[in-house]
Amino acid sequence: MRRLLLTATLLGLVLGASHVGAEAQTGYTAASLYNLGNSFARAGRPGLAVLNYERARLLAPDDADIEANLRAVREAARLPNDPPGWFRHALTAADAVAIAWLGVIGVLLFGGGLLATRLRWGHRAMGGAAVVVGGALIGLTCANVMLLWPKLHEAVVLTQATPARVSPVPMGETLFVLPEAETVRMTARHEGFVLIRTRTGRAGWVANADLAAVIPGN
Amino acid sequence: MGACLMALRTAMAAAPIVSATLEPQQISVGQSAELTITTLGAELEPVSLPVVAGLQFRIVSQFRRTETINRGTLTTTSVVVRVTPKAAGTFTIPGVAPKSQPLVLRVAADTGAPVPGSPSAGAPPPQGSAPGAATSGIHLSADGSAFVQLIIAKQDFYVGQIVPVQIELGFRPGYVTALNGPLALTGNEFTLNKLSPQAERSVRNIDGKQFGVLTWHSVLAPVRPGKFPLSIEIPLTVRISTRPQRESLLDDLLGDPFMQNHFGATISKDIKVTSPPAELAVQPLPALDRPAGFSGAVGTFKIASELATRSAAVGDPLTLRLHVTGSGNFDRVDSNMLEHLDGWKSYPPTSVFKPSDATGDKGEKTFEQPLIATKPGAQNLPEVAFSYFDPAIRRYETVHTEPLTVQIVPAAADRVAAPPAQPHAEAVPAAIPTTAQLRLRPDHPAAGAAVNSLVPLFLRPAFLAVPTSLALLFAGAWFGVRGRVTRAHASGQDPVMHVLGEIEAASRAGDAALFFTLAREAVSGIDERLGSGSEEARELAALIEEAKYSLDMPSCEEVVRWTQLVQRRLRDGRNS
Repeated sequence: MRRLLLTATLLGLVLGASHVGAEAQTGYTAASLYNLGNSFARAGRPGLAVLNYERARLLAPDDADIEANLRAVREAARLPNDPPGWFRHALTAADAVAIAWLGVIGVLLFGGGLLATRLRWGHRAMGGAAVVVGGALIGLTCANVMLLWPKLHEAVVLTQATPARVSPVPMGETLFVLPEAETVRMTARHEGFVLIRTRTGRAGWVANADLAAVIPGN
Repeated sequence: MGACLMALRTAMAAAPIVSATLEPQQISVGQSAELTITTLGAELEPVSLPVVAGLQFRIVSQFRRTETINRGTLTTTSVVVRVTPKAAGTFTIPGVAPKSQPLVLRVAADTGAPVPGSPSAGAPPPQGSAPGAATSGIHLSADGSAFVQLIIAKQDFYVGQIVPVQIELGFRPGYVTALNGPLALTGNEFTLNKLSPQAERSVRNIDGKQFGVLTWHSVLAPVRPGKFPLSIEIPLTVRISTRPQRESLLDDLLGDPFMQNHFGATISKDIKVTSPPAELAVQPLPALDRPAGFSGAVGTFKIASELATRSAAVGDPLTLRLHVTGSGNFDRVDSNMLEHLDGWKSYPPTSVFKPSDATGDKGEKTFEQPLIATKPGAQNLPEVAFSYFDPAIRRYETVHTEPLTVQIVPAAADRVAAPPAQPHAEAVPAAIPTTAQLRLRPDHPAAGAAVNSLVPLFLRPAFLAVPTSLALLFAGAWFGVRGRVTRAHASGQDPVMHVLGEIEAASRAGDAALFFTLAREAVSGIDERLGSGSEEARELAALIEEAKYSLDMPSCEEVVRWTQLVQRRLRDGRNS
């Protein structure tokens, strides 16, 4: 039983790690996204600059340069920067990939500890400690997931004076106008339009072409 | 059969021909006449069939007749040839026998009805009924091969009212070969809407004949008042047998048109089958008490309204939905919903109809109207009215929804006392600073691992499989271990009971050393696992050391006491 569990666990970890390693050949890097953001900022395109900074921040959440330039561009665009709280900062500053793997280790410790206690493998106190540590790691991962979850639905306004309309049709009446580089939350989609909600709580329909999701494909 | 006919033709060629008769001599296209050639003698002699342009000759039967006249016998042999015209006109069939008179066949144009006096009709009409007559309440077509029925539940209705109708097309299998066009109403006073795309199929027995029946469901809408006859017309292609009517008994016996084709020729013919006219009375909608908001809806309806949320912020678009359900002419169901409301900005509604039956007579029409609150606080949305004419009670009805209350909070921008924004504008920034004004940190050297997707790792299926598999593995192992312990309990293999049994056996055998050794092992094992040492355990250890060197068995009370102690410690250990 013990061998079977160890073998299966190691196999799962190797397969997962190989998958993550396999994709790390081409694609996005934090540096390339950051540099792209700088280029757009210098070219006077704050929307695309903010979009690329936000994407770079997903890959390198603790990079001070990304944070600083993002704030600079947002301030230049007259957009507010709300400082994150220490708890949010602590949870989101860590590498999301590392935290995800910590969650896996937490599952291993939690399940293994419970099983060891039940089967009376080793000392009872060690099993209990494994359960506690595993549970804490799982909790940490869940908190990180919850804080990252809104990012899945965030989008950046790419064009100047983007109209937010009352209904998802091109001729719909304009409710308000969104500034370029504003970050909004997407709540629904309908035939080429996205229902967005601003950080001030206002809602309206914006054309797909005027927005870009922070996480492509969402 | 072919060889037999060839022999027949050869035999007839040289036989003395007594007579050649043609009956009838006047037919129409689609029918046939019979040419009977009679020869003397019992032997069949070959005879050449005449060749006439526009006529088809086909030998269908032969028979022999023997008569006794003054003790002498006279034998004649007759051959029956079917003559089928391909077109109308007058045809002359040359004399079959030398010096005999030619025969004349007059063929009239097709009238769709049997020629009076002609023995050669099309398909045999139903027994006991003339073609086109009502049979079992059904009006068959002239050739008896099909019928159409228009079944309407009621005979009088109002302009605009939707009336469900059922259209039945009955046909004799094999006789009707094609449906040549759409169903059409005779007259312009009604429209036939939303014919069900698929006809229901059934079989009906009418006067002993099997008819396939196609049934369509539709709705009829009168467009103007008055009294009108209404019937429906369906174009068909039918296959008509050209066999003489007197052979129709064989047709009925054979039944299957495929078999009939082996015994007689058939032709295809396009016909139109019309249903018997129904007299319908259409009344105008009453002008008296007509509501102002009446849009022409006739039927029976119910309405309800709803809001997706009962709380919103100033400026947020809300959607008010009005559901109109029931039966009637939903294409005339319309509503402007709410207009010119204080505290609200309203927009024109849109509507979607969702039918609940094939004809669209019943269903639900939903109107959606965008509304935007312009003032904070508890805002009321008044009732929405809808008027229709109910033909069942013959008067106009106006129904109302319940008024709704919505809690409107100030816009978040106003709550945080943000700088006042322009009307309908969300903080439009001033000019973007120039490149020189932006103090950006320098670019980074290209480094670091690249990823193909920015989707967080915890949302990727390949990664999710790892913790999920682990969790399932541990859960399975947990339940496996639990099941093993349960089974051990059930089979009496409990290690605690096993140790206690050994201790009791040592006690019964009077083996003090073994008794105390087993007791010490059991108790010390439990204490070590639990990390606790008790006074009793230490006392037991001392007693065991003493018992090792003593030959005396402990007293009965001591045995009971130490056995109970071991039992208690073992059970504590098991339960922990």
